[in-house]
Amino acid sequence: MNNLDILGLSMRNLLRRKTRSILAVTGVIIGICAIIATLSIGFGLQESFRASLEQWGNLHLVTVYPTSGGGGGYAVVGGGSGPQDKKNVKLDEKALNAMEKINGVSGVSPREDTYLTFGIGKYIASISVIGVRPDMIEKFNYEVQEGRNLHAGDKNVLVFGNQTPGTFYNPRKSWGSSYSGKPVVDVITDKIVVTADWNYGQPQRNLPTDANKVVYKEYTFKGVGILANAENYETAYNVYIPIDVVRKINEDKAKAEKQRYDKTSGYRQAMVFVDNIEDVKRVSDTIREMGFQTSSMNDALETMQNQARMIQMILGGIGAISLLVAALGITNTMIMSIYERTKEIGVMKVIGANLPDIRKLFLVEAAIIGFVGGLAGIGLSYLLSLLMNTALLPALSSILNSGGGEVTRISIIPLWLPLAALGFSTAIGVLSGYSPARRAMNMSALESLRNE
Amino acid sequence: MVDEKSADLRKPLIEVKHVRKVYRMGEEKVVALDDVSLDIYKGEIVCFLGTSGSGKSTFLNMVAGLEKPTKGEIIVGGVKVHKLNEEMVTLFRQKNVGFIFQSYNLLPMLTTLENISLPLVFRNVDKRKRDAMAKEAMRAVGLKGYERRRPSQMSGGQQQRVGIARAIVGKPKIIFADEPTGNLDSHTTQEVMEIIVNMVRENNQTLIIVTHDRTISEYADRVITIQDGNILGIEVKGVAKNPLKESVGGSNG
Ligand SMILES: Nc1ncnc2c1ncn2[C@@H]1O[C@H](COP(=O)(O)OP(=O)(O)O)[C@@H](O)[C@H]1O
Ligand SMILES: [Mg+2]
Repeated sequence: MNNLDILGLSMRNLLRRKTRSILAVTGVIIGICAIIATLSIGFGLQESFRASLEQWGNLHLVTVYPTSGGGGGYAVVGGGSGPQDKKNVKLDEKALNAMEKINGVSGVSPREDTYLTFGIGKYIASISVIGVRPDMIEKFNYEVQEGRNLHAGDKNVLVFGNQTPGTFYNPRKSWGSSYSGKPVVDVITDKIVVTADWNYGQPQRNLPTDANKVVYKEYTFKGVGILANAENYETAYNVYIPIDVVRKINEDKAKAEKQRYDKTSGYRQAMVFVDNIEDVKRVSDTIREMGFQTSSMNDALETMQNQARMIQMILGGIGAISLLVAALGITNTMIMSIYERTKEIGVMKVIGANLPDIRKLFLVEAAIIGFVGGLAGIGLSYLLSLLMNTALLPALSSILNSGGGEVTRISIIPLWLPLAALGFSTAIGVLSGYSPARRAMNMSALESLRNE
Repeated sequence: MVDEKSADLRKPLIEVKHVRKVYRMGEEKVVALDDVSLDIYKGEIVCFLGTSGSGKSTFLNMVAGLEKPTKGEIIVGGVKVHKLNEEMVTLFRQKNVGFIFQSYNLLPMLTTLENISLPLVFRNVDKRKRDAMAKEAMRAVGLKGYERRRPSQMSGGQQQRVGIARAIVGKPKIIFADEPTGNLDSHTTQEVMEIIVNMVRENNQTLIIVTHDRTISEYADRVITIQDGNILGIEVKGVAKNPLKESVGGSNG
């Protein structure tokens, strides 16, 4: 028998018992639909976690601290992970060079944070400052929306995080920064005064009495650009300045406050940029092996994704159970159908059907149930997915969203999912039909023929 | 016709040698065939006549390779049918055997044309060719124009004609008919028998027909009466066919 004839005959037999075939197919539809829908919610969850984490920071970045002291502050979500045994390894140029050589790392910069006051004319703002290697900032994918980025060789040059220009205010008109998002002053200018003095530009009345004794230096800077990354909390509220300059300012500040500034014990932080997010974990591990502490948004993402995966697995398990029920439905349908057609099977054998053909006939019938059910189930899943992402979005997002970010899609169906589902449902059909088909094949022709 | 036949007489098409068939039903043994020997020649129409339970169907099924004898040999066209495995016996049936059943046994979801071409489907004959062959068979049994009908839309006589067409469509050497008119009224019986016999004669096929109806035996060259698993007697019809040499095995004892 050729395949086309087998297919034709199987189809005929299915259409003969429409109600029963439809019921079996419906079982598969429900099973496939349950699986796809639940998996898609899992994918949606993962995606929304990722999206909300991206708001918090750059997923490509690993922040590195020396084991003793230094660190702190930066580890917002997920937290850093400590080293196992090594301690007191210096975070110096040598260590940075080693990190740069790790596979997957595309840029390394030391980092030093401080908090400075900026003055442009009569406007001032106090902003958190991050010192980085000026040639690295572009490698970190920090893009400018206005002006230019920091370049190698830049000295007293700075770029603003895109929310910082709005924090400038006139201290004579208001008590503090009344942030409205709308900058009142053009920050791309040559005449920016930068100082560690908190009281710079303030009317004298707020001065504590002994503060007069500390005299901070004032530096002139050039604002060259504003960073883009609007949704990213990591860059939006900082000013970026070449690290050597920041260190110099911090040193001057320590001197003015009569404190020690330790220049020899290495950097307090470093940023490592990893091209491919998938590599972040490996790179972090390698750096910890070297004896440093690391933290990255990716650590947090991983925790959250594990959580998403777990939810997905539980949901998927429910889907799998319904598919198992569908498989039993197919088997049942096939067994019924074989009982009912015992005599026909006998006739076919007597008039010359090969035994493997008989088996194929029933296998193909079962496969068609699986395939058609899968196809319809996929269609229904897309419909359901659409529904979840539109009409049911508000209700569902309040239940499922734990990441904090705004959820735009509850359900995501990656392209491979329907394809896999179709293959799976067909395979389920074949598997469910296998034993009934074998039974049909092995029945004695004469016995079958006598069956009335 | 006689000359042509006598040439074939030297070697029988079907040789049945001391065949015995015992069914075991738990403790009990049922001897369906005791000791049967018989030669059947090409072009013959042989009728097995006997009451229900006498072993007629058992004989037929064994010659068709559907069952294995407990003892004895069955040789069809030089092939030891009882020694063939499932696969070989299926091939043997595809090539050599056509079946006509008492209850027609048409597949209800198939049209007349499809039912008739089904044996060819199993033999992997391509659609164009098998449709042509099926149409020819339909014409031969007088069913032209019924191609698209389903079994449920036809009378018993018409259904049996479909059954006959299905049996002859592949031009098998031997046609087995087990009570082919058992479900038909006497008028239709006559019609159907004439069709069968004419077809067989036309194509020089061999027909073994099993019945409990004495009137059917009128169409046969030889009538073999069977009782309790043994051949009771052989009656050769028509003087022309007399030179047939039958070997009768088994005795009344
Ligand atoms: N599969 C079987 N199992 C047990 N007994 C059987 C079987 N087939 C036939 N018989 C018995 O063998 C005897 C001959 O049966 P069968 O050849 O069908 O007779 P007929 O066709 O002449 O009516 C009967 O007694 C019947 O009951
Ligand atoms: Mg019988």
